[in-house]
Amino acid sequence: MLKDLGTPAKGLVRATGMPRQIRRRRTVLVLVILACFTLIVLDARRSAGSPVEPLREAAAGVFGPLESTASSARQPVDNLRDRFAEMDRLKAENEKLKKDNENLTEELTTSDYARNRAQELDKLLKIAPAYTMTPARVIGIGGAQTFSHTVTIDAGTADGVHTDMTVLNGTGLVGRVVRTTAGTATVLLIGDRNSTVGGRLNSTLALGFVSGRGDVAGTLDYKLVDPKARPKVGDRIVTWGSSGNAPYVPGVPIGVVTSVTPNEGSLGSTATIKPDVDPTRIDTVGVVTGPPARPPRAQITGKGN
Amino acid sequence: MIALRIGLAALFLMLAVTVQTSVLTNIAVAGVTCDLTLIVVIALALSRGPEWGAIAGFVGGLLMDVVPPADHTAGRWALSLAIAGYVAGLIRREKSSGPVGPLGVALTVVLGTAISFFIYSATGSLLHDPSVDWGEFGVRLGIAAGYDVVGAIVVIPLVMWIMGRVQPARERRVAP
Repeated sequence: MLKDLGTPAKGLVRATGMPRQIRRRRTVLVLVILACFTLIVLDARRSAGSPVEPLREAAAGVFGPLESTASSARQPVDNLRDRFAEMDRLKAENEKLKKDNENLTEELTTSDYARNRAQELDKLLKIAPAYTMTPARVIGIGGAQTFSHTVTIDAGTADGVHTDMTVLNGTGLVGRVVRTTAGTATVLLIGDRNSTVGGRLNSTLALGFVSGRGDVAGTLDYKLVDPKARPKVGDRIVTWGSSGNAPYVPGVPIGVVTSVTPNEGSLGSTATIKPDVDPTRIDTVGVVTGPPARPPRAQITGKGN
Repeated sequence: MIALRIGLAALFLMLAVTVQTSVLTNIAVAGVTCDLTLIVVIALALSRGPEWGAIAGFVGGLLMDVVPPADHTAGRWALSLAIAGYVAGLIRREKSSGPVGPLGVALTVVLGTAISFFIYSATGSLLHDPSVDWGEFGVRLGIAAGYDVVGAIVVIPLVMWIMGRVQPARERRVAP
């Protein structure tokens, strides 16, 4: 195998003596590798507007509907996963009960799927009075091999979704929109290493930053701005919001502090956060497309003492 | 015949990318999904040789780079899968006296997974992508390799059989 990969200089010298097949094969390999490097170099300069962008648009246009269709096939896959999880529990029971149970659970998981989705929409509706939201479904998830925590949703610019919008579901903050096309949008989850969210401790209102750790469970790190303030285990963290409500609107739950460790070599401490949203189980989400409804504020006029 | 073969290969790759991003992620093991695209590339390489492996790998990888939710620098998966496909094609040619056995296919898949995942991670490190985590590399590679072999048991015979059906008669006489 290795003799075919000889150095290019040698290859050029011996080019005439080589079988045509091997020469052609090497040419193909070199061309493909050059094409890859060209792509990487062109796309690496994000700031200058990448020429790969039209390609991404086109791909999203073709694969968005395909992914949508394919996710409708999710229900049997979900049922399969739930069935596996239930195996251990059912083993102890006797043969007849087991059979009955299996039939019942199959029925249950089928209706559960629809019910869960309705419940998620209900929860979204409860937050809805505060924000104008566009509901969307997750139609594509990146694998752990890519190291990045991103998902595709089936709403895009045609539905009023733009980059730097907050994405949440009934339980808490999901992430923000980083890329949009007409019919799809890519969401960067808060568990990604590239993600940082401003977070406020519910108990003391102290400010800090929540950053993703990049692991599968979506665990987050929380660092406080004030080095003397110490978060406690069990404290809840909500977003403190960005100016203009982009990319994050205020008051969305992020997670719960599970442990606190003092920073080595510097002041302050880092808390580990368990996110409210399980990143592996996101289905229906809402994109905040409008400002929160502000309660009317009257000016206070005092006469002084 | 050649147009039919190219069309079939493109269809396989598109199907693989779609299924991988929207269906297989729901049965991921510890977050790692089955690399269906890589498996299809290896199957094409094993049935048609290194040129096909390299080109199919490039196209399949490019799809994985641009199809949402990908958000990394384009070209990284393309490079990884092209080289993995080329190597898989070389393995087929070495054993051209007979078809590659099941163990050979499994080893090729493991090798392909290792090559592609390593190149993907290494290019990420070179481009200073903060999300690449070498501490997780070993674990994820192990899971991915195992999962890919399981997927390959189903996919590779299917793809190779269909590609074999559309082989010209003169090649079919030489191959087995």
